Amino acid sequence: MSETENDLERIAEAEEQWRREVLEPRVKRFGIGKSPTRFYTPTATRGFDFLTKVGFPGQYPFTAGNNPFDFWRAHAEAGAKLGIRPDAPGGGAGAGRYSGYGTPEDYRDYQLRMQSLGSRGGPNVAFDLVTQCGYDSDSPFALGEVGRVGVALDSLRDFQVIYEAFTGERDIDKVASNFTINAPAAVIIAMYAALAEKRGIPLEKLRGTPQNDILKEFIARGTYIYPPRPSMRLFRDTLVFCRKHLPKLNVTSIGGYHIREAGATRIQDLAFSFAIGCAYLQAGVDAGLEIDDFAPMVTFNAFGGSMELYHEVAFQRAARRMWARLVKERFGAKNPRGMMIRQPIAAHIGCTSTTLQRPLNNLARAMVGGIAGGMCGALPAVYPPFDEPLGLGHSLEAIQLQVDATRILIYEARIADVNDPWAGSYFMESLTDETEAAAQAELEKIDGMGGAVAAIESGYMQRAIARSAYERQRRIESQGEFVVGVNCFSGEKELEVSVNRAVEQLYDPAQMATAEERQCAKLAELRRERDGKAVSRALQALEATARDEARNVMPDLIECVKSEATLQEICDVLRGVFGEAEPVKL
Amino acid sequence: MERVWQELIDAGTGGDRRALGRLITRVENREPGWREAMKALYPRSGRARVVGITGAPGAGKSSLASRIAAILLGQGRRVGIVAVDPTSPFSGGALLGDRLRMFDVATAPGIFIRSMATRGTLGGLCQGARDVARILDAAGFDLVLIETVGAGQDEIEVVKAADLVLVVCVPGQGDAVQTLKAGIMEIADLFVVNKADREGADELVADIHSMLALRGERSREAPPVLRTCALSGEGVDLLVAALLERADRARSSGERAGARIREEILTLIEGELARAVRRRFAGGSRLEEAVKSIRDGESDPYSAAQAILETLEPER
Amino acid sequence: MSGDRKIRVLIAKPGLDGHDRGARVVAYGLRDAGFEVIYTGLRQSPEQIATAAVQEDVDVIGLSILSGAHLALTRKVLDRLQAQGAGDIPVLVGGLIPEGDKPPLREMGVAEVFTGGTPISSIASFIQSRIASP
Repeated sequence: MSETENDLERIAEAEEQWRREVLEPRVKRFGIGKSPTRFYTPTATRGFDFLTKVGFPGQYPFTAGNNPFDFWRAHAEAGAKLGIRPDAPGGGAGAGRYSGYGTPEDYRDYQLRMQSLGSRGGPNVAFDLVTQCGYDSDSPFALGEVGRVGVALDSLRDFQVIYEAFTGERDIDKVASNFTINAPAAVIIAMYAALAEKRGIPLEKLRGTPQNDILKEFIARGTYIYPPRPSMRLFRDTLVFCRKHLPKLNVTSIGGYHIREAGATRIQDLAFSFAIGCAYLQAGVDAGLEIDDFAPMVTFNAFGGSMELYHEVAFQRAARRMWARLVKERFGAKNPRGMMIRQPIAAHIGCTSTTLQRPLNNLARAMVGGIAGGMCGALPAVYPPFDEPLGLGHSLEAIQLQVDATRILIYEARIADVNDPWAGSYFMESLTDETEAAAQAELEKIDGMGGAVAAIESGYMQRAIARSAYERQRRIESQGEFVVGVNCFSGEKELEVSVNRAVEQLYDPAQMATAEERQCAKLAELRRERDGKAVSRALQALEATARDEARNVMPDLIECVKSEATLQEICDVLRGVFGEAEPVKL
Repeated sequence: MERVWQELIDAGTGGDRRALGRLITRVENREPGWREAMKALYPRSGRARVVGITGAPGAGKSSLASRIAAILLGQGRRVGIVAVDPTSPFSGGALLGDRLRMFDVATAPGIFIRSMATRGTLGGLCQGARDVARILDAAGFDLVLIETVGAGQDEIEVVKAADLVLVVCVPGQGDAVQTLKAGIMEIADLFVVNKADREGADELVADIHSMLALRGERSREAPPVLRTCALSGEGVDLLVAALLERADRARSSGERAGARIREEILTLIEGELARAVRRRFAGGSRLEEAVKSIRDGESDPYSAAQAILETLEPER
Repeated sequence: MSGDRKIRVLIAKPGLDGHDRGARVVAYGLRDAGFEVIYTGLRQSPEQIATAAVQEDVDVIGLSILSGAHLALTRKVLDRLQAQGAGDIPVLVGGLIPEGDKPPLREMGVAEVFTGGTPISSIASFIQSRIASP
């Protein structure tokens, strides 16, 4: 990498000669228009400055990784001897496997079963769509949805039931909780705080991550309630409250993951995610918080994924460097911990890369993601399990295969023995630079529009993502892009390898079928038993606070949940103040 | 008139929504008998006010239409909305996405929302919209809103079907007034600055006023410039009052009514002639011979067209 | 039939599922296949879908559901269509539909189920042939 100009000249000449004498004749011989492969030389990284561009793992700009090794790598050998899964976060005291279904009672019992099978962490909660959209289980919108994609939650009572599985050595001062909740995140955080209060646990001990990333909902996931601006006000309130009272709680998990799954290109994913990240950071700064204090509590939700191995590695490197630079230069941060992209896993293929056709192939695909992850300084997470697209949940076999594949990468392929193995590669460094430059240009375009909120209100991000998704579909349908078993190699002569799945009854379908009924009955009981006047008072107080932009709704939300107001009652008050988000025209 | 048409008309104007939808489709598709059907409907129409809403993309026209409809519904009126989107010149298909912005009134019994594509035929949009408005009129709707994107000639066309035209602008779209298609300024009876809570609203109102002054008004008075905020509903009450009042005035203006009827007759004739030409010549041997002769360098499109036209003369 | 006739399709997402990538891609694709696509977006109640189908007089309805609530929601939509006199409009369902749920959907009256990886051209051809011979 330290070639002189002279060297580079000679290399360029040699490359020209190679082209004439080796490459072009070969292209001609095979009768194709141009070479299907590329080769990179030092000329691709002219002027490369290792210390500015890469540096060292654990140091700005973090291109080579957030740290020289993670917890799981430090204890990999010991973990193997003890049979501990490498992806058990935080050594097992972190939040466990993402899960949730049925009523809170069903989910509590599920957690107890998992604990008897060895699970040690806190809940990593998936909520049903009814809850995510701020409705109660007896709302007309709840038809068919109660307890389906996650657990139903209507009140603090329900929240407490879930946590009956987390007491003693698994109490909430000892384990972390994750909540995949966005639009009503403030209410869930309020419930968490209220629960701690009831248990006499100081709020400062609570750990975990509410997803709390509302902006991506408008462009990628669709579980929004209020329009973008009031949503940002709620975000600000959660941020300020958490920094003050729940300092160990991460404040958000920014979802590049969802943006890519919605069809965004890699560059759009990076630019939109960071535009959103900047909006959140700015909200904190505008609220008077110190960047170095709260930036470290901003996390990301698994940037990724596609099948293109090289590009995903370059993406991670570019993302780390770009975010570090943004936080440092745009926000003047000094605390390196705030400049890191903290995410549970890094590169992976993404669920939309899996196919319904010949599902076992998805294991081979997920392996590519694991390799990419391992090669960019993260857990080589082989994800998702192969049966993801079947729509039946993940079977035990699929989970075991997935976990073993990750182990094979760590222990047999030894992929995690080297930090940033691509550092200095002419190819990878130039690809990283290109990725960063393209994302930076797109980010600046969004800056020009007024930032993420403006780009969302105008529909710019939504339309861009929809277009990219469509363009990809057209490429696939015209064989401009190949997906094995889907648009190529799918003829009658191909073998359908049959899939053996022990039907995973971790989620009991009988329970899911009656969840709506049981939740509605409980709601009726709740309304009978609670003090209606206390509920009204609390809701009124919330409304008054919500109408005043300068005030923080969190204390009122805590009072509301304690009075046993339901989730929808609370969200409806806010609907009355903030209005509801309107769909954007395509 | 065939019985199936008669039944559709009776049912459609008698409150059967399915029949009404089907009636509109058959007329839009120019299915045989459509003309007789429209002749039968014409005497039953003329009561409804027809208001065109146009403006640049992103101005919030659909939301505004929705809010206007909601207020009218609250006054006990019945409202039809015709939402127009462009047909793709490449595929002939269209993505009609205005309806989704009107979710809050979509299921109200007094509302009927119909999405239409421009379909690219000569004068087609205008006549098509007129036909649909007339059908809704005959079915008892008090007001019909025709909403189009003001980004093309078609959209300026469509307002010929309306008694009154609202042009919607929004602050923060750069040089909002300049970007409005030339011609839209002339047709506006009312300007609406929507999203008036945004920065730049005052400037935009001032820009519109000065643009109107620059043009120098003809005999009619300068159109008013109103402010609204479709999301919150602010200003929409006043807008509704203004447009009801002006729509009535426009309809009772003999000169305007005469001009509209004149336009419609000519459009109907043009539309039929265009169709007839295509039917007669497209794919026919005379046209193919002309093409061959041009490709062989023996003729040109102008001569070919002239020759064909001259053969039509004796038949006219 | 007059040459002006276009095939009109309603694409809707019933329920609370917010993943609209598939629905949008199909909407664009059918537009490019020459159809007029009325795209109603997210959070459509069965009532809204039936009302839209009637007012727009569509030839076919496409429901996209990835939340697992497809059986309950489809049943309700078919119900409302029937109530509004539009039970004759064919309904297609797409999204995340397990193999085992396809028979019950067909039994309810769904014309076809299109799951992941189906080329849009197949959907378009299906609709065209269905319209030609209902």
